[in-house]
Amino acid sequence: MDNSIFSYMEFIELIAFFSGYPLIYAVTILISDSFSKNRYIGKAGSLLPNAYALVGTLYLGLQLKKFYPNYSFSNFKQSVFHPWAMAWALVSLLFWIPALARKKTLSLIHSLFFLYLLIHDLYIQFTQLEIDKHMVKNDMNVYTASLVLNFCALLVVVFMSSLLTRLRQKNAG
Amino acid sequence: MKLLSNKILVLVLILFSTFGYIVSCTHEDVVPPAPASTTPVVTHGTNVHLAGIPGDKDSTTWKLDKVHSSTLWSTAYVGAAGLLTGRFNQFGMHDVTNAKMLKYVTTGQPLADTSWAFYENDPTKTYFNGYVQINTSNTGEPGRDAGCNIPGMNTVPIISGTQNLEIINLAKIKTKKVEFDKTSNDYIVTFDLTWHKWDTTAAGMANPAPITQELVGRLKYITKAQPTGQYYYVFGLQLLFQFNCRDFGIPSTSIGDKIDIECNMNFNNKWK
Repeated sequence: MDNSIFSYMEFIELIAFFSGYPLIYAVTILISDSFSKNRYIGKAGSLLPNAYALVGTLYLGLQLKKFYPNYSFSNFKQSVFHPWAMAWALVSLLFWIPALARKKTLSLIHSLFFLYLLIHDLYIQFTQLEIDKHMVKNDMNVYTASLVLNFCALLVVVFMSSLLTRLRQKNAG
Repeated sequence: MKLLSNKILVLVLILFSTFGYIVSCTHEDVVPPAPASTTPVVTHGTNVHLAGIPGDKDSTTWKLDKVHSSTLWSTAYVGAAGLLTGRFNQFGMHDVTNAKMLKYVTTGQPLADTSWAFYENDPTKTYFNGYVQINTSNTGEPGRDAGCNIPGMNTVPIISGTQNLEIINLAKIKTKKVEFDKTSNDYIVTFDLTWHKWDTTAAGMANPAPITQELVGRLKYITKAQPTGQYYYVFGLQLLFQFNCRDFGIPSTSIGDKIDIECNMNFNNKWK
């Protein structure tokens, strides 16, 4: 990461949205395997990529809000310091595609890049002569927010999926 | 999950998260210990010091050690940054009543320094009187002290071998009330300062008009202690106060209005 505060903010946004996904993913898979008979918990494991895509959609919404009302390429070029990182984040939207959503592991692999950003940031702090505890605390606060966001996204997706299933069953019945 | 064992992934991520949270703990949310009390610790002992006269061979009485005492004054020297300072060479602790306002032919103390008592733990019983001979003001400049200082302070020149306690040459204080200072170990003293009105006319010099003004000062008690290698004990009283010299008609434009006074009185109980 370079020293620009705006550049750092971009990484913080990416960490805030996506870095919590791997832990949510791993815990959900573990629990859904153990409680596969439970309708909601068993479903949560398969809906993880959709939750991840929802987080990606929220990230896209934030970027659109930031650029509003000037969506020109020149503005984008001037304002974005890490376009490849942003593009990688927006790839998460592809998990709305059912064929891709079935490959859960891909969503995990995709999100590991953002966890790496967090680990890299912490590594820089730990390799300095004196650890800036406030920087580490800030990173962990952002990580916590990401965990909450991804967990909530999963809850929303499970809830919406259950609702749709019921509606379909009702219509079919 | 083929690439990673999910359990290992969970373990690694939880360990990483736990480690991150522990390292990021800055303890800023920890409630700090209650601040130390800001109430000053005021302690007063039980010492009682009563006046005696030198040579009374009484270890229970306390004698003014004039040689090691002083009455200092200071005021702003108008137009300059520094202070104008001086001391009174002749002073004492006696209640100089009108009947005692005389010239005394002596080089020692004209009156016994016995008009005082000090009760460390009962200031209502504490009292003191004091006086200075105005013409003994000493600024270290003989030309000024015996020169312009005489009319400047509306007094008379020193007569060698004589202690002049006449009203024209006398300023005195007499306590009215002594109280504990609630914020320190000191005492707050309310007293009367009596000096005559500045009037250098022949009539004014012949019949000086005394002015008495009530003032408030701070009294510090320097507790009883035994000097190293000595058989006797000493203690000290320090009175600090301020007055406005214009209230007494001093017209000099070279000095500021306010005069600070510092009385450092040391006592001992020598009985040999």
